Amino acid sequence: MIFNTFAYFLFFLIPVAILFQVASYRTRLWILILAASGFFVYFSLTGIGGAAGAVCLGLFVWESLFSRLYRPKSIFCWIGVLQSVLILIVFKYWNYLTGLIFSFRDGKNPLLWHNAFLPLGVSFFTFEFIHYAVDRYRGVAPEGTLEEYLAFIMFFPTMVAGPIKRYQDFLPKLRGARADATSWSCGITRILAGLVKKFGIADLMTAFTVHLNRADIGQASRPILLLWLLAYGIKIYFDFSGYSDIAIGSARLLGVKVPENFNWPYLRSNISEFWRNWHISLSRWLTDYVFIPLGGSRVRPLLIYSNLLVTMFVSGVWHGAGTNFAVWGLWHGIMLSVHRFWRTYRGTGRSSTSARMLATATTFIFVNLGWAFFCMDLSTAGFFFKRLLVA
Amino acid sequence: MFTLMQFKWLLDYLGGATEAPPPLAPRLLNSGIFLGMWWALMIVLITIFSGQTSKFIYIDF
Repeated sequence: MIFNTFAYFLFFLIPVAILFQVASYRTRLWILILAASGFFVYFSLTGIGGAAGAVCLGLFVWESLFSRLYRPKSIFCWIGVLQSVLILIVFKYWNYLTGLIFSFRDGKNPLLWHNAFLPLGVSFFTFEFIHYAVDRYRGVAPEGTLEEYLAFIMFFPTMVAGPIKRYQDFLPKLRGARADATSWSCGITRILAGLVKKFGIADLMTAFTVHLNRADIGQASRPILLLWLLAYGIKIYFDFSGYSDIAIGSARLLGVKVPENFNWPYLRSNISEFWRNWHISLSRWLTDYVFIPLGGSRVRPLLIYSNLLVTMFVSGVWHGAGTNFAVWGLWHGIMLSVHRFWRTYRGTGRSSTSARMLATATTFIFVNLGWAFFCMDLSTAGFFFKRLLVA
Repeated sequence: MFTLMQFKWLLDYLGGATEAPPPLAPRLLNSGIFLGMWWALMIVLITIFSGQTSKFIYIDF
């Protein structure tokens, strides 16, 4: 919910956008911080996390205070990274990991957290925390003031599900934020387009995707199975790109341009291009904070493949606490490795239009087959492929 | 000739992702009247299809 509720527009976006026009820079920061606090508490109480989730607002306060210790080459930056990873592990993976450990014993999990909950946007805000700590360590992110950092991590249009921002890009935009007529016009168009994508396309696909369960898969023919999976591919694209449109449009009403997240990913002719244009802010985060620190492409070929697999495994696990997400990540890691091998073997010369069309279709098919691991648990996905390929 | 790239640009413009329409697009696209009609159409579509109450996939996953 959130972005498709009246509460978001009436209580948060419109009042803040109007106040933003008339306030001074320092006041704007506090408007953002207060609005984001209200936003976090309101949507925690009415949706995700409940009262316990609302208390997690304290995480932002702690992070902002702790971040004042960050200096280039400082150990505190690493402590900052560690605590962010810990927040993610505790809230998102505790029951999954402890369940995995104790499944090898009698199956009972004595460490099960019965009232486990997810703080709103935990997967996204922890990645921004990590980015700031690492980039302060590297000396590429400015310190800014406490209020500026709070406004960055609590920027409510992007707080819940991105796009994942960079402090060094965001801060100048925040300082120079000016919402003129073009900015408002583009912002409103973007928000409306996002809502059309969500309501008019993504939600309609639910009529098909609801069948992606074991009972229905057992009854369906191959073309129908493919149709349902294709519907999921369409749904997730329009759902998340619609969400990103609303987030980006909301930010534009405040006069701030945040990073783009999608650029026609399904029209790309290879998997590497796909990932450069699908969830762009996450892909860049993973490149900068996982792939490159592992050695990136400047290592032996075998290690490059391994780096790709590890990076996409992290991507998969980040998407959800389940083995199916890890397999989905590895699926993409394998595709990226195969593409890299192919590119090394064949070179990067120009190809004909028909070859590019074939490559685009092949990429689209394999990306869509991969969604099976994203939207179904591992055993159901296995059953899906068995029905699709064998019987 | 209105190429495929220009068509993509046009869709980006209609989605609010770019600030100006492609150079070869009709001038009408740049007018306030068109924008108002386009917003009205989108609001109609949103009203027709809203109420299906599904949450966004990427929230709380």
